[in-house]
Amino acid sequence: MDHDDKQAGSPGSMFADWMKSAADFWASAAKTWTPETTAANSSATFPGGDFGKMQEGWQALLKTWQTSASALGSPQTMEAIFKGASASPDTAMRMLRTTWDGYFQLYQIWLKNAGKLGESGKPYTFEGLEPGVFKDWTAFYEKELQPFFKMPQLGLTRLYQERTNTALDKFNQLQVVVGEFLHHLNGPVERSVKAMQEKIEEQAKEGKLSENFKDYYNMWIKILEGDYMVLYKTPEYIESMGRALSAVDEYKAARDNVLVDLLQVLPIPTNKEMDELYKEFHVLKKTVKEMAKKLKKLESTT
Amino acid sequence: MNASGIPIDLIMGKLAEDVERSQERILKSKDVLLGPLETDIATTPCEIVYEEDRVKLKHYLPLAETRVKTPLLMVYALINRETMLDLQPGRSVVENILKEGIDLYMIDWGYPTRKDRYLGIDDHVNGYLDNIVDFIRERHGVPKINLMGICMGGSFCIMYSALHPEKVKNLITTVTPSNFANVKGLLFTWMRALDPDLVVETHGNMPGDMLNIGFLLLNPARLMLDKYVGYFENVHDKVFVQNFIRMEKWIFDSPDVPGETFREFIKDCFRDNLLIQSKMELGGKRVDLQDLTMPLLNIYGRFDHLVPPEAAELLTSKVGSKDTEDLCLDTGHIGIYVSAKCQKELAPKIARWLLERDRTGGEGVAPRSAGKDEPKPKTEPKSRTASTKKEKKKTQGG
Repeated sequence: MDHDDKQAGSPGSMFADWMKSAADFWASAAKTWTPETTAANSSATFPGGDFGKMQEGWQALLKTWQTSASALGSPQTMEAIFKGASASPDTAMRMLRTTWDGYFQLYQIWLKNAGKLGESGKPYTFEGLEPGVFKDWTAFYEKELQPFFKMPQLGLTRLYQERTNTALDKFNQLQVVVGEFLHHLNGPVERSVKAMQEKIEEQAKEGKLSENFKDYYNMWIKILEGDYMVLYKTPEYIESMGRALSAVDEYKAARDNVLVDLLQVLPIPTNKEMDELYKEFHVLKKTVKEMAKKLKKLESTT
Repeated sequence: MNASGIPIDLIMGKLAEDVERSQERILKSKDVLLGPLETDIATTPCEIVYEEDRVKLKHYLPLAETRVKTPLLMVYALINRETMLDLQPGRSVVENILKEGIDLYMIDWGYPTRKDRYLGIDDHVNGYLDNIVDFIRERHGVPKINLMGICMGGSFCIMYSALHPEKVKNLITTVTPSNFANVKGLLFTWMRALDPDLVVETHGNMPGDMLNIGFLLLNPARLMLDKYVGYFENVHDKVFVQNFIRMEKWIFDSPDVPGETFREFIKDCFRDNLLIQSKMELGGKRVDLQDLTMPLLNIYGRFDHLVPPEAAELLTSKVGSKDTEDLCLDTGHIGIYVSAKCQKELAPKIARWLLERDRTGGEGVAPRSAGKDEPKPKTEPKSRTASTKKEKKKTQGG
């Protein structure tokens, strides 16, 4: 296979071929659309319209398209475009490597911390509660990944892109914060199981083991309940819960902003627009009700 | 028994028996779950006598001769629904109150939608509640009515009674938070950790489902696990299943809370504790508890994990009234209304307390606009001696 053959099958040549065929199609369509061919129906097609101006506009548009198509379809332009595109896998690889390194570090931290789980099965104590893995991940995310979502956007779609990026960023933050919160919630389950094992061993040594499975269940549920009560009072849990609730709300707000952008193409009002209306309606209704009350009082006194 | 001393063979044997029993239960449960079940709640006959926006006023048809002349208005919280007070015949605070000869009204706050997000506490207290009180006063031709508040509804009643003491004859608060400082309850701690501005700006109203998740998380071991283990252990028992489903219906029937009301309640009450300090303002007027001069009965639960005693018991020492009574029952937040023991205590106590204070003040009459189908309430008072108590009482229930 020679060089030209390679080029013929390349994305660049395929794109150039498509541009050319599209331009040819519209050019032939324009040729068939002449005053002569449509004169008989012109009044019906453009009632009261100026066909000449329409055709001029159409041809101008076609010329612009042909110029753009030929420029874009030229081998030099295509080469430049696809050179840029071929550079992006390198960037992607760099991002992937960074992310992978981060994940690997995270995995190591996770393994280290996971090793700590179950070290102590004492119920109702939470001294060893260290969701440090989430803090490390957050630090990594904020340093390595978040900047991508905060990159300044350009052009006409800048604001839309920014809102989309914010929603993605908030979604990522939500995953971490909710993960941390669930880790807290899962703690008592793990610890109560461990504590149960220890209790059963103690009872076995003392020969006080029950033969009834329900007794073990009741014992476990009591330990679990107690563990949750202790957990709930720890400042770590309260802070984590506050962060999780805020993250949920922040993500929802960011996601809603993107949805509002999408809704703009549909003929329906957004929540923001309706809220403005509700507020005006509320104030108006309150004023009317107060006035009606005053009027009723006046009527009863006169 | 094995070498470790654990009688695994015996435990496994019992477990196998349990599994067999479970299988039998499941087979029997088919008849229960697939057959007709009576799970309706709030079935005590009533009529809607007033409506304003989403808010409705229920008037219950009397079940006994009227003993307390002054009508009683019950104000439930904006969280969950008032149907909890009328879960089923035989387990209904509403029914018990009616049987005591009290003419009873109840506010149904309805289901707020997004358009209600700007309604604040002022709109509920000086708006809906005041309009309803005026309606009942006019209907009965009385200058004052009796007011009973439940939980957050009780807080609303405190605010209303302090701002409109001329319209309230007696005030009863049940499991009502009035003091929000130094309260160790989980709900109080969590509410202080919440950012109400963010919640309201994001959701408009406080979603009922979000509140429910919060309530479930207060005790996941019991509320999300053990409760359902209990259900499956009794799934063959039709009465148990019916009662269980009724409770489930009530628990998960959670309207959203109007955004502004939620924001104000968290900030003014949970964060700044303005109510008990007489610093709260509604509609430009200060809610001064010294203006709360009518008799006050304050009932709360010793084991209430949502509104612990320290959140409720301070009220009587802060009001202007000299006729106050604290009643602490050995129960929890919901148990006060649904437990068999409290069912026998609560309504008779309320009736006795109201009867003792019913002779003073304006005379009550039957509703003027009572429908022709509505049985006319008897107006002949059978009240005992009027109370002229000037000393504060503290009684222990349970």
